[in-house]
Amino acid sequence: MTVTEVSAETAAQPNAEPEGDGAPTAAPERVFDEVLLEISGVSLSFGGVVALSDVSFDICKGEIRAIIGPNGAGKSSMLNVINGFYHPQQGTITYKGNVRKKMRPHRAAAEGIARTFQNIALFRGMSTLDNIMTGRLLKMRRGLLWQALYWGPARDEEIVHREFAEHIIDFLEIEAIRKTVVGQLPYGLQKRVELGRALAAEPELLLLDEPMAGMNVEEKEDMSRFIIDVNDEFGTTIALIEHDMSIVMDLSDRVVVLDYGRKIADGTPDQVRANPAVIEAYLGVGHG
Amino acid sequence: MNEGQGAGVAATAATSAPFRPGASVDLEFDTFPKLLKRNAAVRGTRSAMREKDYGIWQSWTWAEVAAEVRAIACGLSVLGLRRGDAVAIIGDNRPRLYWTIAAVQSLGGIPVPMYQDAVADEMKFVLDHAGVRFAVVENQEQVDKLLQVWEDFPQLELVVYDQPRGLRHYRQDFLHDMANVLAAGQKFDSENPSFYDDEVAMGVAGDTAIMLYTSGTTGQPKGVVLTHENIYLTAINAAQQEGLTERDESLAYLPLAWVGDHIFSYAQSYVTGFCVSCPESSDTVLTDLRELGPSYFFAPPPIFENILTTVMIRMEDASALKRKMFSYFMGVARRAGANILDREPVGVVDRLLYWLGGVFVYGPLKNTLGLSRVRICYTAGEAIGPDLFVFYRSIGINMKQLYGSTEASVFITIQPDGEIKPDTVGTPAPGVELKVADDGEVMFRSPGVFKEYFKNPEATAETKTPDGWVHTGDAGLIDEDGHLKIIDRLKDVGRLVDGTLFAPKYIENKLKFFSHIKEVVAFGNQQKFCTVIVNIDLEAVGNWAERGGITYSSYQELAARPQVYDLIQEEIEQMNSELAKEQNLAGSQIHRFLLLHKELDPDDGELTRTRKVRRNFVAEKYSTVIEALYGTADHCQITTEVTFEDGRKGTISADLAIRDVRTVTAGEQLAAE
Amino acid sequence: MEFISFLNLVFVAPFVDMVSFPIFFAEVVIAGVLTGIMYSLVALGFVLIFKASGVFNFAQGAMVLFAALTLVGLMELGVPVLAALLGAVAVMTVLAFAVERFMLRHLINQDDIILFMATIGLTFLIQGFGEMVWGSNVKALDIGIPSESFEVGGILLNEFDLFAAGSGAVLVAVLAVFFHYTRIGRALRAVADDHQAAMAVGIPLKTIWVTVWSVAGFVGLVAGIMWGAKSGVQFSLSLIALKALPVLILGGFTSVPGAIVGGLIIGVGEKIAEIYWGPLVGGAIENWFAYMLALVFLLFRPQGLFGERIIERV
Repeated sequence: MTVTEVSAETAAQPNAEPEGDGAPTAAPERVFDEVLLEISGVSLSFGGVVALSDVSFDICKGEIRAIIGPNGAGKSSMLNVINGFYHPQQGTITYKGNVRKKMRPHRAAAEGIARTFQNIALFRGMSTLDNIMTGRLLKMRRGLLWQALYWGPARDEEIVHREFAEHIIDFLEIEAIRKTVVGQLPYGLQKRVELGRALAAEPELLLLDEPMAGMNVEEKEDMSRFIIDVNDEFGTTIALIEHDMSIVMDLSDRVVVLDYGRKIADGTPDQVRANPAVIEAYLGVGHG
Repeated sequence: MNEGQGAGVAATAATSAPFRPGASVDLEFDTFPKLLKRNAAVRGTRSAMREKDYGIWQSWTWAEVAAEVRAIACGLSVLGLRRGDAVAIIGDNRPRLYWTIAAVQSLGGIPVPMYQDAVADEMKFVLDHAGVRFAVVENQEQVDKLLQVWEDFPQLELVVYDQPRGLRHYRQDFLHDMANVLAAGQKFDSENPSFYDDEVAMGVAGDTAIMLYTSGTTGQPKGVVLTHENIYLTAINAAQQEGLTERDESLAYLPLAWVGDHIFSYAQSYVTGFCVSCPESSDTVLTDLRELGPSYFFAPPPIFENILTTVMIRMEDASALKRKMFSYFMGVARRAGANILDREPVGVVDRLLYWLGGVFVYGPLKNTLGLSRVRICYTAGEAIGPDLFVFYRSIGINMKQLYGSTEASVFITIQPDGEIKPDTVGTPAPGVELKVADDGEVMFRSPGVFKEYFKNPEATAETKTPDGWVHTGDAGLIDEDGHLKIIDRLKDVGRLVDGTLFAPKYIENKLKFFSHIKEVVAFGNQQKFCTVIVNIDLEAVGNWAERGGITYSSYQELAARPQVYDLIQEEIEQMNSELAKEQNLAGSQIHRFLLLHKELDPDDGELTRTRKVRRNFVAEKYSTVIEALYGTADHCQITTEVTFEDGRKGTISADLAIRDVRTVTAGEQLAAE
Repeated sequence: MEFISFLNLVFVAPFVDMVSFPIFFAEVVIAGVLTGIMYSLVALGFVLIFKASGVFNFAQGAMVLFAALTLVGLMELGVPVLAALLGAVAVMTVLAFAVERFMLRHLINQDDIILFMATIGLTFLIQGFGEMVWGSNVKALDIGIPSESFEVGGILLNEFDLFAAGSGAVLVAVLAVFFHYTRIGRALRAVADDHQAAMAVGIPLKTIWVTVWSVAGFVGLVAGIMWGAKSGVQFSLSLIALKALPVLILGGFTSVPGAIVGGLIIGVGEKIAEIYWGPLVGGAIENWFAYMLALVFLLFRPQGLFGERIIERV
């Protein structure tokens, strides 16, 4: 069996470092020191409504970063600023060392930012495979003429991309729905296909907007496992918004907490959990 | 039984079935690793295995498989596997897991496949009992389960996993990636080129080939030890009867830990050289089946039922023309299909219509089912409904029932081509001796009879007699053509006071074949004779009554009509005369019956929600009726509580007639013939 | 008696005619097919834009006229045919850029009806601009396609018609492959399906719009050449857009194969109706037959022959 070089990396490392005792041991401490994305002083308002107000935080390469907060805290707005759907009035976004005032969606995608949506934005009329192939669009390079003829190199390229898509299908265990039109799938599977489409772009930064909303416990477990595996296998940096606190605390390396468009806490899950401002925001004056 | 008596009884039924000798062990290739080497030599370039991966079918030739097995074996040996060590194999149907079985066998180890969906706690017993040293598993899911119980098993030394996904950060030194094991094996092999061949040569036919745990209905699972000889002879005997060749194709989708999969997807492939394909995932089996179109297929009845249901649902959505065509040609198939398959005479018109049906309906249908190329299609595990069975046969699929067990290395009986009867499980496979003991239990002796239950000599002695006969625990009988008919589990079969066999389920099912009878409850355990309480089928009997000008206004009224009693009596008498022909069951003919004034109902607790009779509940509730059945009166008074549709409760009282039924004695039976 | 002879005239006689003179009938059908292909070409322009941006482009007819005018105009200036063709393509591409830059970009997220109104405005703009630059008199268009007639098996055929049919078929085939198998095609389908998701996977909406409008302009040019060569380039060319409407209703607004089949049905249908039933009502059925057919379709199958469902499964 051959696997081309574009394939998902699946070869495991040899178990080079025996730990001595036979008992299960936890993974080593995860250390992140290279900043991939830095948000500084970002403010965003729609007319008179302030969505984000002077928010700053960073996302390090390789980590799973959660953005949490009560409803209306500005979490989704934050993701939309990162991938360029919204343009902030103030502040800067530094991505991979380049400082800019605003991103543009297709530029963000081209530079390795992929995302999923709270309300699932799939191409409902296409099959699972076509959706994932669409995620590969930016990776396709052949010229228009070749494309028009669908010949020679363009076809070979199509095959290579198809193979990559198949690796994602395998990874997400959605072989059985490969040819199914996405609109006919149950909600949980649609979410998985959407993740697949985002992964197809081989993103460096993956933005997940409530990836587990509306799922049952089992589906949530599956999705958590996929998120961890993505981070693990591909080294993808992940920023996610999620409401289920137990999942957030389990999954993420660091958590930033927003409330009324302001950052009220930032740190490891333990630090955040102990933060009085966070407890206040969640338990205090409910404004959900 | 002496000669003189034997001649007299032969006309009705027998207690043993005709024996056909089977193959004997080929000393040169008496173990599966040796068979693998043979296949690599004689059909090295033919496909041995396929797996759908990344959306396409990958395939391996026999030569490639032999090389993989060699590398895995050497790798396991480097890790310390020694002769006699037990190796657990856990996961879905993956080529590498099948190869691991062969690799372990090559080294004289004992493969112990385990159910991949068992939770960690369920695995404990087998891991402990079999004394598993190594485990070869599919993926992270299985590794996690083993880690959960790791502390409990000091003898479990290491785990090899096939799919590294998610396992990158597991730091335990006893976890090994199969890829590394393979690499180490190849290196070792190149340094010690004779090692593998020497190990394989050491194996002999009597070595344990595999250990399969069966979950008995009670108590702990038992480890059935099967030798290479057991499996080889059983596999080749059945393969020869069915004419399996290297050109056949099969799909491996049932659990590795089940003896059937081991024979169909491993042993028979090694014996005959046919190619086994593994599905992409357990969710894609039906799609993969369609793409592959195997010629040799096995499925338990529920799977066939699901497939049929899917087809029927899709037919209902089809256009009116298609629906008409479907029902018309299915009619033709019911009339002629099974006969054509059995090579019996069929009229020219029906033959032509059947051919047309093949073009328009059966062909496309079989293609959709993935069974268009199937030559042999087995079903077993439980009784298959006659309708379902006849449906598949009528569209030209050679579906056959077989009867087998883990203790027999699967095959005990197979329905032979051209002699298919829906209510029997066929005749003994070559090499199998079959008899029905005096207590009605089916017993067999064959080359496939298991060596022992691992570390359980008491159970072995209970099941296997010193001269090699095995108790199946099933009550059955052998009909005049030498076909085995399974009645029920022996423990569910009762006795009349004179010791005659009483098989309630068998009698009830036989009566329910009559369309006028909807439900039956038979009584007779520890009684002098058998009686039944009958529920008529309101629709069928209602139609019959209307045609005969019989008026009625309710179920109760219809069931009380003497003409209806006559109708049912006639049918019971018909069954009695059939029972009379079956030696062991002649004594359980029905002597008295009554038609119940109300339908048995799950709401009243008389049936389960899946519409099975709750025998004991009914016996208690209708105790007065049963007393009357065993009395002499020709009627009885009864008051019962009922629950109406709207949930209100009320009582119905009725005076029920009881009828005596004519029974057939052995003397009459002989006189009649 | 009257009534019976009426029934005879409507339901029997025409069919008897068809069977009695098969060669003539074949010629009618072929004429219908050729007209149908022209309709299909125009309808195709509509479908492309509708699929990609959900805009019903009322200006498609005007684009046909403008493309043809540009071509003729350039040729009148003495530009060789091939160069004139390239020039016309370039002009249509510039038009596409202009439409995106000055119209679509400012109307993002507006109601469909607003966009529709905008295309009506665009229609008059293009017509006016075209006539201002190239003049409003009828112009003959001759790009050197032979138009000899010849006979095959008794059926009279015209070389030009065959050429038109052939190039129409090739164009349609190329477009079908282009939209189903290529990166751009996939992007286009993605945009048509969900704008937001398309942006998230990195598809630049503006590029897609320009591409689609350019292709629609090119298709318009081909349609313009065919019609123009037959009946001269004149203002009435922009009215054939109206004929494309029933084609779209028949075939479905989002379906490329629908546009083709719809065009053929209408082309053949109206020719047959004109020849065999026309005399009954004094002729001119051809002018309204297509609309009547479309009306019937709207009543019974509003999504058209190849409505959403089928195209989605490709």
